[in-house]
Amino acid sequence: MGEIDVSLEQEAAAYFRSLGINQGPGDIQYRLIILALASNEGRVTLFSDIRAYTDQVADRGSVASKLKTVFLLEGLAKRVQRGGYVITDKGLAAARFIEKSTKFYKKYMQIDAIIERIP
Amino acid sequence: MSGLLLNAAACAAIAMSAFAFVWTLHKQEYKDTNLPSLWALILFWATIALAFLFVCVRVIAAFYGYTGVDRICYYLASIPLAFLPVSLVFFIVYVVTGDKRASLAMSLIFSAFGIVYLWFLFTSEIAGPEVTYWATIFSIDSDAAITVYLSGLFIVPTAMVIALLGIILARKISKRHRYRIALTLVAISIVFDFILVDAIAIWDVMQVVSRIFILIGVVLAFLAYHPPDTLQDRLGIREIHDEIEVIDG
Repeated sequence: MGEIDVSLEQEAAAYFRSLGINQGPGDIQYRLIILALASNEGRVTLFSDIRAYTDQVADRGSVASKLKTVFLLEGLAKRVQRGGYVITDKGLAAARFIEKSTKFYKKYMQIDAIIERIP
Repeated sequence: MSGLLLNAAACAAIAMSAFAFVWTLHKQEYKDTNLPSLWALILFWATIALAFLFVCVRVIAAFYGYTGVDRICYYLASIPLAFLPVSLVFFIVYVVTGDKRASLAMSLIFSAFGIVYLWFLFTSEIAGPEVTYWATIFSIDSDAAITVYLSGLFIVPTAMVIALLGIILARKISKRHRYRIALTLVAISIVFDFILVDAIAIWDVMQVVSRIFILIGVVLAFLAYHPPDTLQDRLGIREIHDEIEVIDG
């Protein structure tokens, strides 16, 4: 996984929310957290690593709450130390789905722009 | 010689229907994003209309035996035809990239091809006209002109049209958009390719047949923007308006 483009992820989340998909692909916090965890696959992801991306879009409290109520509860990540998490296989599947949703968004925008330019 | 009259009628029909299509495109609603491509499309069909106006005069002149007028009109028609790919290339590059500068740069390259072709055409000998029952044919005695015409002016833009068509058909878009875009590109492709066949025709019947196909292409382009009601119902591409709004309005 390469560097996470926060503004692109924000655009993608806004697009999915416009389709009525408010959770998962439409939730910017979910997108950034799962992508940050996946980018550290095989290593411990510190809360500060996640905040490096999420601080631009959400406050610390809501990110911590999302980690607890969604990621740990659904088994997408495991807490291995104080403020340290590792992604699970289930979490990797979710990350792949989010990556695909970014690609889908990019493709959709490309074709939409082409159609817009045809009179 | 009534074959020549049929040929002239086909040319007149192409010119008139292309002019009519240009007029409807000119009246079309536009957005800032599609204004450059709309103008490129208008220019493309206007160029075809202008070229076939000269071709029509040429065929009528041949019918009455004015070979001098036939020759002059052959040269006049070759000018818009040499620059036909310029607007088409601008249209395709702009639609795909959305970059006006890149589109202009590509158009300039194809303008240069057009100028080179015209230079070879005007400086080389042309044999003819050979007036037959169906057509009046000139033969260019320049391999360079034919090579530039075939490779630079026609093969590359045709490949671009087919590539754009592939991009559109590979994506899941609404039937209405798919119908309009695909039919427009197919029509452009038919017209463009049969203009090439017309230009390199060595048999008289081949020229008439290619002009009939060009006419079919112009009609298809018109149908892409103005589909009849029955076709809209059959293909399920009718735009459904809000009935409540219509009643209230």
